[in-house]
Amino acid sequence: MSGRFAAAGKVAIVGHAHSQIRRRADRPLGALAVDTARAAIADAGLRVEQVDGFVSSSLLPSAGGQGAEDGVSIVSSAWLAQHLGVNPGYVAGFEGIGQITGSVGIAVNAIAGGAADYVLLHRALHNPAGAYHANPMREVRGVQQWTAPQGFFGPLAMIALPFTEYLHRFGARRESMAAVVVEARKNGARVPWSFWRDRPLTTEEYLDAPSLFDPVCRYDCDIPVDGVAAFVLTSAERAKDLPHRPVYVAGYAAGTPTRRRLPLHWPLDDILDGGAHTARRLWEHAGITAADVDLPQVYDGFSLFVWLWLEVLGGAPLRRGRRHRQRSPGRHPRAVGRRRAGQWAHARHPADARVLPATGAPGRGPPARQRDDRGRVPFLAALRRRGGLQRRTHLRVVL
Amino acid sequence: MTGRPVPVPDEVSAPFWSAAAEHVLTVARCRRCGAFTVPPDVVCPHCHSADPAFEFTPVSGRGAVRSWTVVRQAFLPGFDADLPFVLVDVELVEEAGLRLIGRLLDGPGADLHVGDPVVVAFEDIAPGVAVPAFELA
Repeated sequence: MSGRFAAAGKVAIVGHAHSQIRRRADRPLGALAVDTARAAIADAGLRVEQVDGFVSSSLLPSAGGQGAEDGVSIVSSAWLAQHLGVNPGYVAGFEGIGQITGSVGIAVNAIAGGAADYVLLHRALHNPAGAYHANPMREVRGVQQWTAPQGFFGPLAMIALPFTEYLHRFGARRESMAAVVVEARKNGARVPWSFWRDRPLTTEEYLDAPSLFDPVCRYDCDIPVDGVAAFVLTSAERAKDLPHRPVYVAGYAAGTPTRRRLPLHWPLDDILDGGAHTARRLWEHAGITAADVDLPQVYDGFSLFVWLWLEVLGGAPLRRGRRHRQRSPGRHPRAVGRRRAGQWAHARHPADARVLPATGAPGRGPPARQRDDRGRVPFLAALRRRGGLQRRTHLRVVL
Repeated sequence: MTGRPVPVPDEVSAPFWSAAAEHVLTVARCRRCGAFTVPPDVVCPHCHSADPAFEFTPVSGRGAVRSWTVVRQAFLPGFDADLPFVLVDVELVEEAGLRLIGRLLDGPGADLHVGDPVVVAFEDIAPGVAVPAFELA
């Protein structure tokens, strides 16, 4: 991949839907997925039989070692298509880290390349019974033999190590992270369908929470849920005839670590270097710069990722930790000063809000209640105000 | 003995665990390019040889702390009695970027700093099974 995306603006999101987000749903995940897919397709003004492409990533990101059962603990695109009663010509699944972004790239390519006319992209997440990451293993085979016997296991240990590195290298403090987490929860509490609806978090609650893997506490982590989200993509040309104003995809980017490490060993420099590379690709692919983005919605499955994404997406390196010390606690310089962090949507459920504008649905514009204290409106409306994007709404997927 | 998960050596890793049982730390070294690799793979990540014929080479066990965490909740069996414990991310002196992760046996009260020197130690977790860890040097 090099240069500008040849299909920039030629593929659009034209519909979406999501299920309720619950710690544990009272219906099987597959049933939620079927209902959500039907709702997204209807939202796009289409019939199920018109959808000829299905794309997803079905990974269950638990370290618990549970076997994946399609329709129960995961929902693959093939399972979903079959249970919707269709036989699509294009079915693909993303494998790797970056499940939503990777799926978006596959779906966009399927449309741009003519492999499908209408693609249903979904993500279905399950919260298995018991502790999410607890694993009863007594013997360790394969690559985990190099880490699990030593006690290094699971995503919390993974993120705790670069978190410690970050705090010490840049002089940041947990008080600074409290502002990120509290702000994210504030936004989540405003979202009607959020698990955190009307449940804001205070700085004191964050700072008083017991540590799990220093410096990580429960509020630095997303919460396992049952939930499904689905999007419908088609060509910009076909989108003209559909009911919603399309959200055009300007570009996407991905990257993989260049250095082989122990399982789940993500040193800070590996993340930042890989992220910076991915960000450069993204700006080139989409034909924009950080200055063009009014609302970044970055992956915050662990709170540290908010800082790291801002580091790499911001262009100018923030690795000079003195910035953390110069500003009042909790004010990440670029986030607050230039990137309007207060408008971030709370994206704790990986299947939905990360690729949604903070306002909810693509193409419908933000309801007035989600304006901030200064009357600003996020992302879609903000982009519409920009001269170069008049009457077109672009979704920049920057995860 | 501890109830911790025990490694099941395979064709590649057997020399590593045999040496560990003798409290000797080894690291896989590519016979083609001579670079160290953690963990070994089917292809050498440095020279990309598909026939690296890794040789587990004894190393000094000395290194510097690059990061750490205090683990306060165990997700694996056999660690509860050790909680809280410290995991350290250690860069070995043998090669820049060569990093291992293990328990720091000095405990959670250790006053840790980036760059602190450590040396390998071993925990005997089952008969004939020893796992590398670290201690402050």
